[in-house]
Amino acid sequence: MAAIGVHFGYTCACVAIFKDGRADVVANDAGDRVTPVVVAFRDTEQIVGIAAKQGRIRNAANTVVKVKQILGRSFDDPEAQAHKADSKCPVVNKGDKPMYEIDVGEATKFVSPEEVAKLVFHKMKETAQSALGSDVSDAVITVPFEFGEMQKNALRLAAEDAGFNVLRLIHEPSAALLAYGIGQDSPTGKSHVMVYKLGGTSLTVTVMEVNSGLYRVLATHTDHSTGGESFTRTLAQYLAAEFKKTFKQDVTGNPRAMMKLMNSADVAKHTLSTLGSSNCFVDSLYDGMDFECNVSRARFELLCSSLFNKSILPIKTLLEQVGLSTSDINKVVLCGGSARIPKLQQMIRDIFPDVELLNSIPTDEVIPVGAAIEAGILVGRDTSSLDEDSITVDCCAKDILVKEADEFGADVYTVVFPSGTPLPARRQHTLQGPGSLSSICLELYQSNGQNCTPQEKVADIVLGNLEPKDDPWDIVTVVTMKRDGSLHVTCTEQESGRSEAVTIAVAS
Amino acid sequence: MLKEALEGQVTVVCNVIAASVQFQVEPVGRWFEAFLKRRDRNVSASFQELEEEEELEEESEDEELQLEEYPMLKTLDPKDWKNQDHYAVLGLAHLRYKATQRQIKAAHKAMVLKHHPDKRKAAGEQIVEGDNDYFTCITKAIEILSDPVKRRAYDSIDPTFDNTVPTKSEGKENFFDVFVPVFERNSRWTSKKHVPKLGSMDSTFEEVDSFYSFWYNFDSWREFSYLDEEEKEKAECRDERRWIEKQNRASRAQRKKEEMNRIRTLVDTAYSCDPRIRKFKEDEKARKESEKKAKAEAKRKEQVEREKARQAEVEAVRQAKEKEEEEAKQAAQQAKKEKEVQKKAIKKERQKLRTSCKNWNYFSDNEADSVKMMEEVEKLCDRLELMSLQSLNEVLLCDSREEAMAAVEKQIQEVNTQLQQERDAELAARQAARGAEQGGGGGGAGSGNKGWNEDELQLLIKAVNLFPAGTSARWEVIANYMNLHSTSGIKRNAKDVINKAKNLQKLDPQQKDEINKKAFEKYKREHVAVPATADNAAPSERFDTSGTDISSAAWTTEEQKLLEQALKTFPVSTPERWEKIAATVPGRSKKDCMKRYKELVEMVKAKKAAQEQVTTAKSKK
Repeated sequence: MAAIGVHFGYTCACVAIFKDGRADVVANDAGDRVTPVVVAFRDTEQIVGIAAKQGRIRNAANTVVKVKQILGRSFDDPEAQAHKADSKCPVVNKGDKPMYEIDVGEATKFVSPEEVAKLVFHKMKETAQSALGSDVSDAVITVPFEFGEMQKNALRLAAEDAGFNVLRLIHEPSAALLAYGIGQDSPTGKSHVMVYKLGGTSLTVTVMEVNSGLYRVLATHTDHSTGGESFTRTLAQYLAAEFKKTFKQDVTGNPRAMMKLMNSADVAKHTLSTLGSSNCFVDSLYDGMDFECNVSRARFELLCSSLFNKSILPIKTLLEQVGLSTSDINKVVLCGGSARIPKLQQMIRDIFPDVELLNSIPTDEVIPVGAAIEAGILVGRDTSSLDEDSITVDCCAKDILVKEADEFGADVYTVVFPSGTPLPARRQHTLQGPGSLSSICLELYQSNGQNCTPQEKVADIVLGNLEPKDDPWDIVTVVTMKRDGSLHVTCTEQESGRSEAVTIAVAS
Repeated sequence: MLKEALEGQVTVVCNVIAASVQFQVEPVGRWFEAFLKRRDRNVSASFQELEEEEELEEESEDEELQLEEYPMLKTLDPKDWKNQDHYAVLGLAHLRYKATQRQIKAAHKAMVLKHHPDKRKAAGEQIVEGDNDYFTCITKAIEILSDPVKRRAYDSIDPTFDNTVPTKSEGKENFFDVFVPVFERNSRWTSKKHVPKLGSMDSTFEEVDSFYSFWYNFDSWREFSYLDEEEKEKAECRDERRWIEKQNRASRAQRKKEEMNRIRTLVDTAYSCDPRIRKFKEDEKARKESEKKAKAEAKRKEQVEREKARQAEVEAVRQAKEKEEEEAKQAAQQAKKEKEVQKKAIKKERQKLRTSCKNWNYFSDNEADSVKMMEEVEKLCDRLELMSLQSLNEVLLCDSREEAMAAVEKQIQEVNTQLQQERDAELAARQAARGAEQGGGGGGAGSGNKGWNEDELQLLIKAVNLFPAGTSARWEVIANYMNLHSTSGIKRNAKDVINKAKNLQKLDPQQKDEINKKAFEKYKREHVAVPATADNAAPSERFDTSGTDISSAAWTTEEQKLLEQALKTFPVSTPERWEKIAATVPGRSKKDCMKRYKELVEMVKAKKAAQEQVTTAKSKK
């Protein structure tokens, strides 16, 4: 029962396999665990991955990068236009579909983005199958949350053309949650998780609600202008300035030299995530002159400080949008290659001082691992009944609270049945009452929307005629909400077995 | 810490719970899958415990399982295991195929506890050694019933199953009583879940339809491997095994086919007997009938209307025609009347003329003159119109004899000239007709006679040479050219010209010679005339002029070429152009050249004009 999870990003693709109950990322034939989504076209062959990325210096016009940006879009789409403006490989309009114009020797060939994606998927499949040693093709593929139906279909088709049996397309933030196995671990069954993804070219922050193991996206924010590439560019600009300082030569106008500098800056950036300083060395950068420069982590952080601030900014706006405070977030999941940067992790930790920061899995592998886990689940189930990619479920609309008194006698409200719980559901709590009382009252309220302020009382449950004792009363309260929305509450006093039950009808 | 209940507070529900809302969830994770599974299975509560409880209940039922002792058990022959009832052996005869695996297991356990040879030995019973003991039957029964495949094979041929299919006559009388149990019985073979019920008389069309489509596409798991004659395991070698397998497969297929036929017959019978189907059919028929009727009605109405419209139209046409005819008739009558009136008037006038002439005694004294005059007057009467007759009569009535005579004579003269003219015209027409006849039939000489004189022949030859074959609309151009240049004034068209030219080509050499000679004569005549005039005018210049004449006529092609070349090399703007041109053409003076040039220009102009005329005429057409 093996299965594959694929993350197809803007800059990098990564594949993980689920085997023997665990999911792990597999390295490609070059030994890298992530493969750049760069496809180079030569006269007779297509090269995918790091070789294409290195060869881009010489073959920029026939090398396709960031194909995901244009995948499944019409030519007039602003994203497609932005891609066209950005791409070194010419993009032409063919029947409202964007096509890459590839120069193969004497003739020009038109290649659709779907075909490019197919080549990448094919590479991922080869990687996965060489690791598995068998021709498993069942796969789960991740898509960004903002992907539309057209783009999803294009991605699915490309994957199927490459030979994958696409079990399901799942959203990237959900995959990140799956990778850490976030589920029913909070006492009420409800928690909030923030997924912070800083990829190669995009920044996505998503707030999710996890309830009874079901994930729900509350809000999401995507910024396509911030990403690992902006850090690299900043560093490359700095290197160019250094070069100018040393050799009195301006290389910023030379695209090939800049591309070399970018590659070098990329390596340096990666090194700086683990080491305190990095040495950049470019042979024959300009006019036969070699370039060497040492960059410290502090220097890098200084250079990119404004970018870091920009990367952190969406967290606050998003929290305001959903009406949560930083303390309402139970977990933060980091994913995307650039989330590795120590400074960035430090800044996020500063925002959420007492929240668990999940970064134990390498950040660029979180999403494929989650996809592989999902693939494993899907392969293991007996029926395949789900056709749509997301479904709606009936959920409890409001928090159900019980009124208690704290040690000073003030009223506090405890959530016994949180809002957003998929129905039907049952929650069991053991409430305690002072042993000196002969009768105990549970007052049930329902909340007013998000915050737990009680709005209206729905029921009183009274357990009377108790014999006072020294130990506190343990009252097991079972709260059940049925499929139709009606609430059933049973309270049982453990020692005497006295019980009291009410059924609260649902508003029509 | 919970609070204390207030005095008099009781358990009470004081409000309703807000209605549930729908949220979109991410389709990931094992909890999601579990949720889906629960939802699809439609379990009323989401709790694992509830299901477990149910299972527990089932188990407790098992414990209460009633086993029916099989009275024949002890007499069974293990060798004949194939024909024994395995359910009965295990004491499950009342449950049969409905028995769960757990029940079978429990029954077997109970049976073993009771019938195991060791137990019986302990109880002091006599035991048959080896496989011949009836306990082997129990072992065989559990062997078959515990294996799902074998059990299915055995269930398929369950001896208690009633394979009968009710006949049509049975089904017709009380359909539901007969068929409901039959379908219920047979539905146990289905491999699909949710068998539609036969329903009742009130079932909707959809229900009945789904019922029959289910049964017509019945997917049965019933198979007949249990009835295999040979056992594969008994075979000694592979070939034998294969042969057995083949045999078995054939017989199984045969049985399966029979089974399918049985089901088919059952469904067919039910379908044909089903009163609901009949009802639906009748309804449908009635509906179609009514539709058809409505359609026919509509069609008929339409036809009637169309017929009406057509008749109205015909009527209108007829009326219009009648009216027209009437008008025409009236007009004709009117005309006739008028004509008669006129006739009468003319008659009267003529009479008047005659009498007045008579009165004047025909303006003559002697007999002969008067007779002649009478003739003339008669002629006048015949020829003159009403108006002129009237005016003549007026003149005759009022004036003197001389004046009257003059008037009459003038009239007579006029009439006579008119008559003469008419006669001439007739003659000319007759002559022309004759000429045309000759021209059409006669060919060469005939048409040649039709006014082709020597000049014209010359002109034609010249024109033909001027416009060689290949000129666009050549013959029209030639005809035009001739019309422009001929002196005879006869208009020729292209056809005439073609005919003539062809004739000329066909002419025998003698005639050609003749024409040439004539041409020469003409030439001589002309050229004799010219020197004569020149002679008269300026004798000193005679040689010169004749010289020019000769030389102008005798421009050789070589000289012509040289001239043309010179004209080209010295454009108009060249000073002293003609001197230079003359210098290039040896033996020609400046004057010669200029003259020749003028000639050429005229020739070209004429050619162009002729061509243009034709093209304009054509475009006008």
